[in-house]
Amino acid sequence: MHMSPLQKYFFSRVWWYLGTLLVAICLNFILPRLGPSNPVDTIMAHIKTPGLDPKIAHKMEERLRIRFNIDKPLHVQLGMYVYHTIKGFVTLDMDEAFGDSYMHNKPVWAYIGPALPWTLGLQIPTLVIGYILGNILGALAAYKRGIFDKLFYPMSLFFTSVPYFCVAIFLVYIFGISLEWFPAMNAYGESLSPSWSITYVSDVLYHYTLPFMAMFLVYVGGQAIGMRSMSIYELGTDYVKYAKMLGSSEGQIVRYVFRNAMLPQLTGLALALGMMVGGALLIEIVFSYPGVGSLFYTSIKENDYPVLQAGALIVTICVLIANFIVDILIGILDPRIRVAQEGENA
Amino acid sequence: MRQFTLLFKNPSFLISFVVFFGLVLVGLLFPIFVHGSPVDRLGCPFEAPTAHFLLGTNEEGQDMFVRLLFGLRSSLYVGLFAGTIATVLGVVIGLIGGYKGGLLDNVLTMLTNLFIVIPSLVVLILISNSLGPKGRSLEVVSIIIGATCWAWTARAVRAQAQSLKMRDHVNLAKLNGYGTTSIILMQILPYTLSYVFMAFIIQMATGILEEAAISMMGLGPYDSVTLGFILNNAQKAEALVNGDWWSFIPAAVLVTLLQYSLFVMNTSMETIFNPRLRKEE
Amino acid sequence: MAPILKIDNLAVHYKTRFGQQVHAVKGVSFELEQGKTFGIAGESGCGKSTLVNGLMALFMPPLFYTHGSVIIDGEDITKFDKERLRINILGKVISMIPQGALNSLNPTRKVKDFATDVMLNHHPEMNKKEIHELLRNRFALIGLDPRVLNNYPVELSGGMKQRVVIGISTLMDPKVVIADEPSSALDVSTQKSVIKMLMDLMDKGIIGSMIFITHELPLLYHVADDIAVMYEGKFVEVGKTDQIIFRPQHPYSRELMDAITKLSSEGERYDAKDKKGVVA
Repeated sequence: MHMSPLQKYFFSRVWWYLGTLLVAICLNFILPRLGPSNPVDTIMAHIKTPGLDPKIAHKMEERLRIRFNIDKPLHVQLGMYVYHTIKGFVTLDMDEAFGDSYMHNKPVWAYIGPALPWTLGLQIPTLVIGYILGNILGALAAYKRGIFDKLFYPMSLFFTSVPYFCVAIFLVYIFGISLEWFPAMNAYGESLSPSWSITYVSDVLYHYTLPFMAMFLVYVGGQAIGMRSMSIYELGTDYVKYAKMLGSSEGQIVRYVFRNAMLPQLTGLALALGMMVGGALLIEIVFSYPGVGSLFYTSIKENDYPVLQAGALIVTICVLIANFIVDILIGILDPRIRVAQEGENA
Repeated sequence: MRQFTLLFKNPSFLISFVVFFGLVLVGLLFPIFVHGSPVDRLGCPFEAPTAHFLLGTNEEGQDMFVRLLFGLRSSLYVGLFAGTIATVLGVVIGLIGGYKGGLLDNVLTMLTNLFIVIPSLVVLILISNSLGPKGRSLEVVSIIIGATCWAWTARAVRAQAQSLKMRDHVNLAKLNGYGTTSIILMQILPYTLSYVFMAFIIQMATGILEEAAISMMGLGPYDSVTLGFILNNAQKAEALVNGDWWSFIPAAVLVTLLQYSLFVMNTSMETIFNPRLRKEE
Repeated sequence: MAPILKIDNLAVHYKTRFGQQVHAVKGVSFELEQGKTFGIAGESGCGKSTLVNGLMALFMPPLFYTHGSVIIDGEDITKFDKERLRINILGKVISMIPQGALNSLNPTRKVKDFATDVMLNHHPEMNKKEIHELLRNRFALIGLDPRVLNNYPVELSGGMKQRVVIGISTLMDPKVVIADEPSSALDVSTQKSVIKMLMDLMDKGIIGSMIFITHELPLLYHVADDIAVMYEGKFVEVGKTDQIIFRPQHPYSRELMDAITKLSSEGERYDAKDKKGVVA
């Protein structure tokens, strides 16, 4: 079958990411078992209270041992874990994929499911808007130099080097607690129940402001810094000089530079996603925002091991999907990637 | 040498250098001037700053000023320790992969890409959680941070090694029968040193940041007060909502100062060491 | 016959970051007639590449105009404002073939699209269809496969890129083309074919006249009618090709010839590239 370079590139990325996913699932099984204690002991230590009937405790432990296959050899356990996880994903049966929370006797998905939209709702818009705006500001700083550069460069450098959660803490303190302009906690007012009413939606947006800004400032700063230096580089390339000598207009040059500087920026985005998402999860803790980050926090506090594990996998999968999308975008926008792909396969 | 004089003439480098090493000195020398325990109950809970408690007390009545100094010290320690491990791992993996090429390089590159793409905080959380509270000393935390954050350095060093190995002096050394190890050590490593040093600075920042991050999640070292641990306590005690600024703002400011000074040091070194950027100024 | 191009005492300078002036071209004069090629030889760093900007009156900071005139069609283009120069002169009346031709094409734009961009700058009244038609015809006329129009630069070989660049630079039948070391990065046979292509374009009347800049003086023997030897921003010797090649007067010109003969007799890299390849 003859495939276009873009298709070849697409499939090679698909395989790479499926492989990475498999590794991530295995890691998700192996990493929690690196320590001295096994999950059953951890859970039992938590639920054993002085008043608990030893018989019931014993029975619970039995059940846990079966649930976690603790008595089977490790590779069998791993195999079963991978099998159930993949089968769960393929059949879209999240309860099969993630199992039950043992602290609350409810499926893990009952916790992850409701938390995920809040996290995605916080991260995706910030990422997209921050990327676009950061690149425009960075390009302006490179092209106009002068005031843009003098003002935005140090500011961007500041915001990109400050950790997300520190920005979040400062924003909460200044705008949430001292000035009381915006709510400092939660995703919506406690008296409201989720619905599509105008009151509820506007309340959600009101609560959204500070967590959004905390991520946005850091994010725009990072993008602007990267774009500035990429644009400066592109402005000095041979093709820009040639285009100028053939009488190309300023607007034309700016379009060339912007587009070509954006490509390495996109690669940078793909590489940084893992770091960024991790940092952004911490923002949720500062704001008690009901997303996956806060879920991590509570499940660590409660030692709710399956929830933590499932949360870790879900976050990794989201990052992999985002990375995949960025990779494909690069493949579509940059002819050099496709040609390199063809060369590799030839 | 000329580059170093240029470096110290660069105002932004100078300021960030002074800030960072000022903090390092404070972290090293404060026991001479400040006596007090970071863990003893010395006052009432949530006392506001006074002449006695310069930064008030926390929910346990512990002296926040003393805690902050100890926190600064342990965070710097983690930064140095984790940063060294990550840099060494990254440099070794990058040099070997870039110089050797072939199958080994493919495997190492794949490993590097895996570590870049999978969120490091998630890996850190899973490992830290499995170690249990008693398994997490300051050193262990530093080691696992170092072991998860090397990939960026490896990626960059690999690219450098790959271009360096085409150079004449490397070929010459090869013709003269030098082995792989000695070529990497004598002919490649020295040319990447300025980069490695900059990478080390960034890795220190990453180490400090990641420790603060997992401590905030509640998975920090059990045996030390770190800046992240102070923030985690403030979070648990809801100091943020109560407006007890002294129990979280100073710690957040210190983390910010450390990160910003290390970052500015790195970027100003880049403009000096990287002639391409310098010319464009 | 009146010259197409007349350069009179042209000088340009750079301004450094600390406000010092560095004079890169210090008062250069020459004339160029229809159908003639003027060769300029000199080592790198002598101001050749800066001279290209000067000849096009294209002054971008940190490069500035000092004095002198560049007269085409009786008009001094150093007096033009930027927009007038850009739309009416650059790429249209006076065009250039750059030194780093291998990287001179926008890597993310198809040859066709880049060429269309260039045309639209000077002929905004044309539509894309007309331009594409014109491109196909022109490429066929100058011996380039019109299919390369649909390629991205990465898909082309070095030699092909160079020829495409020549094609684009000469789209609007420029009266003067400045070729700045157009062949230095290419292998011997491609070098030959590039120079032949330029000569053909001149024969066909697409190019009015040519200024050929190189650091290899002997290369000019088969190309140029007149030669200037440039040293530290000045022409130290100007004359007919035969005279400069075989009877150089200025010590520096002699040095430039000697250096190459000496190198080639030692069997260095230069031998293959310069002597056998182009001059022979």
